[in-house]
Amino acid sequence: MKLDEAFRNYREKIVDRWVEYTLSTYKSSSFFIKEKDKFANPVGGNTREALDALFGLLAKNADPQEFVAPLEQIMRIRAIQEFAASVAVGPIHAVKHITREILSKDKERCHLVQDLYDFEFAVDLAVLAAFDLYMQCRERLYQVRIQEIKTGNYILTDSKCPTNLLKTNIQESLKTVENH
Amino acid sequence: MAVPKLEQLSKSVVQGPSLATGAVPTKDWMDIPAIFKPGNYAYPAKQEKVAYLNSQKDLHFPNAREWSPEDDDWKLPEDWKDIILKGLKERLDKFRSLKIFMDCCVRCGACADKCHFFLGTGDPKNMPVLRAELLRSVYRNDFTLGGKLLGAMAGAREMTVGVLKEWFMYSYQCTECRRCSVFCPYGIDTAEVTMMLRELLHLVGVGINWILEPASNSNRTGNHMGLQPHTFKDNVDFLADDVENLTGVKINHSFNRKGAEVLFITPSADVFAEPGLYTAMGYLLLFEHIGLDYTWSTYASEGGNFGLFTNNELMKKLNGKMYAEAKRLGVKYIIGGECGHMWRVVHQYMDTMNGPADFMEVPKSSITGTTFNNAASTKMVHISEFTADLIKNGKLKLDKSRNAHVKATFHDSCNPARAMGLIDEPRYILDHVLDNWVEMPENTIREQTFCCGSGTGLNTDEIMELRMRSGLPRANAVKHVIDKHDVNTLSCVCAIDRATLTSLMNYWNPGCNVCGVSELVGNALVMDGENRQELDEGLRTLV
Repeated sequence: MKLDEAFRNYREKIVDRWVEYTLSTYKSSSFFIKEKDKFANPVGGNTREALDALFGLLAKNADPQEFVAPLEQIMRIRAIQEFAASVAVGPIHAVKHITREILSKDKERCHLVQDLYDFEFAVDLAVLAAFDLYMQCRERLYQVRIQEIKTGNYILTDSKCPTNLLKTNIQESLKTVENH
Repeated sequence: MAVPKLEQLSKSVVQGPSLATGAVPTKDWMDIPAIFKPGNYAYPAKQEKVAYLNSQKDLHFPNAREWSPEDDDWKLPEDWKDIILKGLKERLDKFRSLKIFMDCCVRCGACADKCHFFLGTGDPKNMPVLRAELLRSVYRNDFTLGGKLLGAMAGAREMTVGVLKEWFMYSYQCTECRRCSVFCPYGIDTAEVTMMLRELLHLVGVGINWILEPASNSNRTGNHMGLQPHTFKDNVDFLADDVENLTGVKINHSFNRKGAEVLFITPSADVFAEPGLYTAMGYLLLFEHIGLDYTWSTYASEGGNFGLFTNNELMKKLNGKMYAEAKRLGVKYIIGGECGHMWRVVHQYMDTMNGPADFMEVPKSSITGTTFNNAASTKMVHISEFTADLIKNGKLKLDKSRNAHVKATFHDSCNPARAMGLIDEPRYILDHVLDNWVEMPENTIREQTFCCGSGTGLNTDEIMELRMRSGLPRANAVKHVIDKHDVNTLSCVCAIDRATLTSLMNYWNPGCNVCGVSELVGNALVMDGENRQELDEGLRTLV
C-alpha cells in the first residue's frame, strides 16, 4: 500500500486528532471541538477548516507557497490570543506525531512510517511559515494600534495641539512663578 | 494524547506552560485568581477625573487616587467590603430586576457559548452565566439562607479582594451587548449584571479611564471629547464647507436656534473623527434635501451616554442634558443620529429616569405627515426611522449608481438591534441607496448580531489584543461575505462601531471600509441645484 492512499484513508482521522490537539490548547476546548458551525464557533470552525486544507496540501507535497492561506487563517487567530509564540505555532508540528502514531498502529501500513520524510519536511516548512505569519500578525496588531492612536481622539485631546500646549505652558509658568 | 512528544509540544520551552494551555481545568473556577498584566486590562481612571466627577452634584465617585491593577494593593478604602455589601443591598432593594436575575438563573448554559468574549478567548469566566456567577456567589453568601448555611456547597463565597479583582477583570470583558440575553429562557439581562458590577466597583474607586474621562468631559462640555462649543460649531461648519465643495450645494444649518422644529443630536465622533465625518456629511445633505427646520446644539453635542457604562446616576444626568437642551430651545421633538448606547438609554431607561418628556410633542414628520407613535414618550426619533419614512413616502431623490463603488454588508449594532428593535429600517434604506448589498450569515445578524467587541468604553488601544479577540466572531462573519461576495464596505448605525470596526477590519480584513448608513444616503442623494464633481468614492472622494 502506498503512502498517498494511506493519507487518503486516514485523512479524516488524522485531521480530527490534529484539530482536537490544537484546540486542546484552549481553556474551553470541549466547546471549541464540539460545535461545528463556523459562525457560532469561529476558533473551532476556522481551525478545522484550515488544518483540513493544510493537511491536503502537506500530503500531496504541494508548493509551500500554498500553505500560506490556511496557515494565515489559523495564525491570525492564535497570534492575538494568550499564547506564548511557541505554543501559538506549536500545534502545526503536531501532525507529524499524530500521523506517525496512526500509521504505526495499523499493521498493514506501519512500514509506511519510514517513507514520511518528505511529508515531515513539508510540515517543517509549514511551521517556519507559520512563525513568519505569526510575526506578521503581531506587527499588524501594533500597526492597528498605532493607526488608532494617530487617527483617534488623541489628536484632539492629548496631542500637542496649540490649545494643549498653551495649557501646559501656563501650568509650567505658574509653577515657575510659585517657585520664585 | 497518547504520544508523549505531543505533550511536550504544548508547553512553551522558554516560559513554561502557556497561560491558555490546559485543556482540563485542574482547579475550581473560584480558585483561579485574576492576574493582571499589560494588555489584559484597561488603564485605571486618572485621579483628577474621578475627583472631578465626585465633586459634581448628584454624583458619587469616591476614592480618587493613583493606582494600578498590577499592584497587589489597590488602595481600597479601609471599609471597602462593607461599602460593597451595603451597595449590593441597596441595589437589590432598588432594582427588582437585579433581585430576579440573582435568583432565577438555573444555570442551563444556553448563554454560555453566545458571548463574543468567550468565543474569542475561550476563557470560561467569559461565559455570561459564569460572569454573572461572580456576583451571584457573593449574593448567595450574604443575602440568601441557603448560602449562609451551606456556603460553598450552595455556590456561595465570601467577598474578598481577590473576588473584587475578578469583578474588575470580567466586568470589563463584557460590552453589555446583550446577545446572551436573547438566548436566556428566563430573559436574564446579563448586561445589567455587568452594569451592577461596574456600579459597585465605582463605590470603592475602581474604574477605567477610557470611560470616566469621556464621562467627565460629557458632563463638563457636553461631549465626550471635552471640546468646547466653538470647536464643535467650527467642525460642523467645516463639514458643511466640504459638502459644498463636493456637491456645489450650500448647507443651511444652525446652532442652538430657539424655536426650531427639531433638535438633532448625534455622537460627537460623527463630527470629529473618520469615518464618522462622512456620516455627518450625510445628515447635512439629507436635512438640506428635505428642507428640515432643525438645529444642532453645542451643549447637547453628544449622543453617546458614557454614564451607562458607570452608574445609573451619571447615566440619568447625561441623558437629562439632551432633554434640558430640547426644553430650552423649545423644539417639538428630537432626531437622534446613528448611535449605539444613546438608544439603549433612551428606549430602556430614559422614561423612568427623566421621562416622559411631555414638554415636547409626539414626533410627527412635517415632510411626510407620519406620526412616530413608537417615540410617543421619549419624543426622540432615530435617523434611520426618519429616513426610511422619507423614502417610503417618495420624498428623496436617490441615484443608486452614485454608490457604484460600494459593495456592502450590514452590521446590526447591538443596542439599536437588541435594545430598540431597529432592524428593518436600515435594511430598507440600503435597498434604496445601493444596487447590491448582502447579509452576513443568519446567526450573526439581526437580534443575534455579534458585537464589534469594543463597546461600553472598551475601545481603548492598550487592550487592542483583547478587542481583536472579542471582535473575532463579527470579523469572521464579515470575512465570509468578503470571500464569497467581494464585499468592500461594512455599514452600520453606531459611532462606536464606526471607530472600532475600523480597527477590527484593519487587523482581520484589511481593505474593508466601515461606514454609516447615512453616508450611503448622502452619496446617493440627488440635490436640487447641485454642481456635483466626479465623486468616485462618494463623500470620501478627495477633490
